[in-house]
Amino acid sequence: MIGGLFIYNHKGEVLISRVYRDDIGSQAADSAVFSSSGPFLGERLGGSVRNAVDAFRVNVIHARQQVRSPVTNIARTSFFHVKRSNIWLAAVTKQNVNAAMVFEFLYKMCDVMAAYFGKISEENIKNNFVLIYELLDEILDFGYPQNSETGALKTFITQQGIKSQHQTKEEQSQITSQVTGQIGWRREGIKYRRNELFLDVLESVNLLMSPQGQVLSAHVSGRVVMKSYLSGMPECKFGMNDKIVIEKQGKGTADETSKSGKQSIAIDDCTFHQCVRLSKFDSERSISFIPPDGEFELMRYRTTKDIILPFRVIPLVREVGRTKLEVKVVIKSNFKPSLLAQKIEVRIPTPLNTSGVQVICMKGKAKYKASENAIVWKIKRMAGMKESQISAEIELLPTNDKKKWARPPISMNFEVPFAPSGLKVRYLKVFEPKLNYSDHDVIKWVRYIGRSGIYETRC
Amino acid sequence: MPYLGSEDVVKELKKALCNPHIQADRLRYRNVIQRVIRYMTQGLDMSGVFMEMVKASATVDIVQKKLVYLYMCTYAPLKPDLALLAINTLCKDCSDPNPMVRGLALRSMCSLRMPGVQEYIQQPILNGLRDKASYVRRVAVLGCAKMHNLHGDSEVDGALVNELYSLLRDQDPIVVVNCLRSLEEILKLEGGVVINKPIAHHLLNRMSKLDQWGQAEVLNFLLRYQPRSEEELFDILNLLDSFLKSSSPGVVMGATKLFLILAKKFPHVQTDVLVRVKGPLLAACSSESRELCFVALCHVRQILHSLPGHFSSHYKKFFCSYSEPHYIKLQKVEVLCELVNDENVQQVLEELRGYCTDVSADFAQAAIFAIGGIARTYTDQCVQILTELLGLRQEHITTVVVQTFRDLVWLCPQCTEAVCQALPGCEENIQDSEGKQALIWLLGVHGERIPNAPYVLEDFVENVKSETFPAVKMELLTALLRLFLSRPAECQDMLGRLLYYCIEEEKDMAVRDRGLFYYRLLLVGIDEVKRILCSPKSDPTLGLLEDPAERPVNSWASDFNTLVPVYGKAHWATISKCQGAERCGPELPKTSSFAASGPLIPEDNKEREQELPDSGALMLVPNRQLTADYFEKTWLSLKVAHQQVLPWRGEFHPDTLQMALQVVNIQTIAMSRAGTRPWKAYLSAQDDTGCLFLTELLLEPENSEMQISVKQNEARTETLNSFISVLETVIGTIEEIKS
Repeated sequence: MIGGLFIYNHKGEVLISRVYRDDIGSQAADSAVFSSSGPFLGERLGGSVRNAVDAFRVNVIHARQQVRSPVTNIARTSFFHVKRSNIWLAAVTKQNVNAAMVFEFLYKMCDVMAAYFGKISEENIKNNFVLIYELLDEILDFGYPQNSETGALKTFITQQGIKSQHQTKEEQSQITSQVTGQIGWRREGIKYRRNELFLDVLESVNLLMSPQGQVLSAHVSGRVVMKSYLSGMPECKFGMNDKIVIEKQGKGTADETSKSGKQSIAIDDCTFHQCVRLSKFDSERSISFIPPDGEFELMRYRTTKDIILPFRVIPLVREVGRTKLEVKVVIKSNFKPSLLAQKIEVRIPTPLNTSGVQVICMKGKAKYKASENAIVWKIKRMAGMKESQISAEIELLPTNDKKKWARPPISMNFEVPFAPSGLKVRYLKVFEPKLNYSDHDVIKWVRYIGRSGIYETRC
Repeated sequence: MPYLGSEDVVKELKKALCNPHIQADRLRYRNVIQRVIRYMTQGLDMSGVFMEMVKASATVDIVQKKLVYLYMCTYAPLKPDLALLAINTLCKDCSDPNPMVRGLALRSMCSLRMPGVQEYIQQPILNGLRDKASYVRRVAVLGCAKMHNLHGDSEVDGALVNELYSLLRDQDPIVVVNCLRSLEEILKLEGGVVINKPIAHHLLNRMSKLDQWGQAEVLNFLLRYQPRSEEELFDILNLLDSFLKSSSPGVVMGATKLFLILAKKFPHVQTDVLVRVKGPLLAACSSESRELCFVALCHVRQILHSLPGHFSSHYKKFFCSYSEPHYIKLQKVEVLCELVNDENVQQVLEELRGYCTDVSADFAQAAIFAIGGIARTYTDQCVQILTELLGLRQEHITTVVVQTFRDLVWLCPQCTEAVCQALPGCEENIQDSEGKQALIWLLGVHGERIPNAPYVLEDFVENVKSETFPAVKMELLTALLRLFLSRPAECQDMLGRLLYYCIEEEKDMAVRDRGLFYYRLLLVGIDEVKRILCSPKSDPTLGLLEDPAERPVNSWASDFNTLVPVYGKAHWATISKCQGAERCGPELPKTSSFAASGPLIPEDNKEREQELPDSGALMLVPNRQLTADYFEKTWLSLKVAHQQVLPWRGEFHPDTLQMALQVVNIQTIAMSRAGTRPWKAYLSAQDDTGCLFLTELLLEPENSEMQISVKQNEARTETLNSFISVLETVIGTIEEIKS
């Protein structure tokens, strides 16, 4: 259970503070303290709540060292914090709670807020603070998480907020049926003129490569996000090139196995949105569900085998004497020539005592950024099976610092229009027995986006 | 400057809130209220406008209502009289046709933390429990817990509890979960909500309908259910199987814990479960949600304690990336250190060696300590790497390497030779206290094998005046004396100088004492010095440094998915210990001698805590919990050793007594509820010699006195008397509090 929730900006100022339980600072017991004295620090509202709030600022936000743990114990109170850009969200409790759950709740809180007003930034939080209080009131009661589905929340907490008076009786009953309904994620009676759905396969590919070009570790974590605008209570069935399914089917038609066997992928583990019937997945490995209305994350998965690494980075660093470094980096794109990668950025770290850098690159733009201690090389677009190169001469100041330069890895960012795991959507069928539209009438869109996660090559 | 000039701000806001023009314009009115809340958030005392805010609650604008209710919940304890005015509006809202308004009003009303509100909220809560909208029922159910919390000492309302138990069958999943939470809080003193077979099976069947928070909560409650038969147990496990693959890591961990606890008699099932959650756990360890990743890593370490080989084939998953946050890197290094085996040791060491030169000194040091840990099994390879690191001549690396060496020669004496060869030269690169101590210790103990040991120590002796750390000076004294025994000719002169300095000039008491001690020891004769300094190693820290043996899964299963793996067992023990002390602290007045000593004693002096001023020679051992059965058997087999009657008037809270007894290490075995007559309690305690004291407290219905009977399993009058005096003091103190 969560005793209180605070949101701070990077300076440690409290933007939002909501206390659910007395135990994180007994206000009632403190009332004597502040009725007796003037408007000064100690006797401001709820002395000990303030203390807890201040303690977090001093011990975590303003701490000199790096944060040693996302869970901090100050005066026997646990602070769970999550940072989003320069905003700190902290959940506070005195109980021996279940840490994973508290963090999940904080993530959920971030998701809900993002669904309402976009990026979580100081400005947005200040502008929407009433809304945030409303949300906090609704998704936590007495420190216990309640309904936190964005879809449900959006029906009765609106940005404008005044909606509730203009509601008709019918609308009102609809809201209560959704807020309190059996299937928490979808209400009855949804209608669309055009039945449409969008599937996004979003993957982030992570790589750690040794200087010799050996893959130390690589994995893809992916999400299938669905946006559905479907009428009624449609039953959906989703199919992909999961190795186990393909092999199972292949038993019947032998030649198909040989054809599609190569294209199937082995999924290490996957998890699904609440709406997916897990029992069916376990027995038949088929993914069937009644989707929530609007956007939601259908599944999340991870693969580690046969990953298509979209780029290879080949670094060459040569130390010429004590005051000069020569760096040459080649990147090779490794996918179909017809596809285009975008937003490519290569970050080549430079030593702290760099005095000057000369860069020559074949493609794109490269710049030495002294404040970041790195050469940043940006390429807008690059087709598959191409190669590009950058070479740089780094002048160093002679120092008497004996510390050897640790050579941080070269990191890369990019976006490619395919799934590096090799995942393919085979079908998404929609059945709605009660209404008169069939699978063929639904307009479906599928998109694949592969992004770089932590994509590092040591040099 | 939000904190200053609050009076002006309050005055201005008050004016604005009273202004009829503003009141007429809904948006402007709400804006002013928003400003009040904003200042409240910043920490300004806004209680001055309470009256005006109460008036603002009478509105149709639901957002404005919410803001005002938030304000009232914050300040109600300060202005209880004014808050009562608002109750009227709230009560009216509780019968609004819109369920959202009903729910909001009820929730806010229950959250007003002030005395006397109970009588007003009782009826609305009861109505709310039977409301047709589940939104209101959810609020009402938690309202019961809030109401109970306001008056912690009040009797548990049996009818309400029954009503809540029946609501466990409600069709709304959140109502069901809230019922469990509420019952748990109301029945806390009686051990929480009871999960019997029908309830357990009902919950299991509803699991898939719940959201992730509900699932996690129910999994936690199911922990206390004991299946009757093996068959039932496996049925339950089958039902829960799908939750091991849930998309929420919290649910996965909750399900894992439940599996581990339920299957505590079936080690193969436990191992099987741990194999099956390997995938989800590894996924969490490499997820982009860093905080979750951290928590997962902590649990991986926990599992590795029992199954060292469990993640060995996945060791590459735990290699650190440059851009990961510090706390994840530190955890990963620990994990790497624990999963090392013959096959991967080469790669892991290679990887760790890379971290040792990291820019972050903290991380580099953690990596070096990890290599030191691995060195206990793979000594030669590690010592070689550590020796190479010394060659870098970096301060922060050298100091940690030397500390690692110190621990290593202790645990693996076979590497002493290699360490001794590596040491010369590193004194130039050590500046901090810990590192210096380690180096000096090594030079002292193994000085005969290091040719230049006396000269290094001589440097330290020369600079002892400018040495800032007393601990280093102490270490230097001991080391030099040790070296003097093996190489007297080279050391005699400087030992004299050091002793002179320490005794004559040193300001630090501890150092001077140690100097004097050694001086006097030397006066007794060299044989005596040898006997004392070179006595067999019996350092208690040795136990800490040794590898803990593989722990069975059951030893940590109950800690899984709590904060214990996150903080570490030792840290958590100190945290929760203080919490206990704090809880009973305020209940006892500071005048009584032993109560004051409870919370004030620092955590590390566990031994001394028992030596309470009034207990004399008696030392009661903490946490000697007897089972009720054993107690009963012993109680019946013994004769009463002492009987006494103490004056006792009126009512009291048994909990207070239990807490107070806990402070002096007397355990409560059983106790009647408050208010029952005759009231009885059975207590037990044990002293350090193993002598048991069993006690019965009895309050007869009409007498105004408490009868105490004590039984003892070894007849010793002096300890019995001191035990009784402890007991008297505790009961006397409780008596004082009451009156």
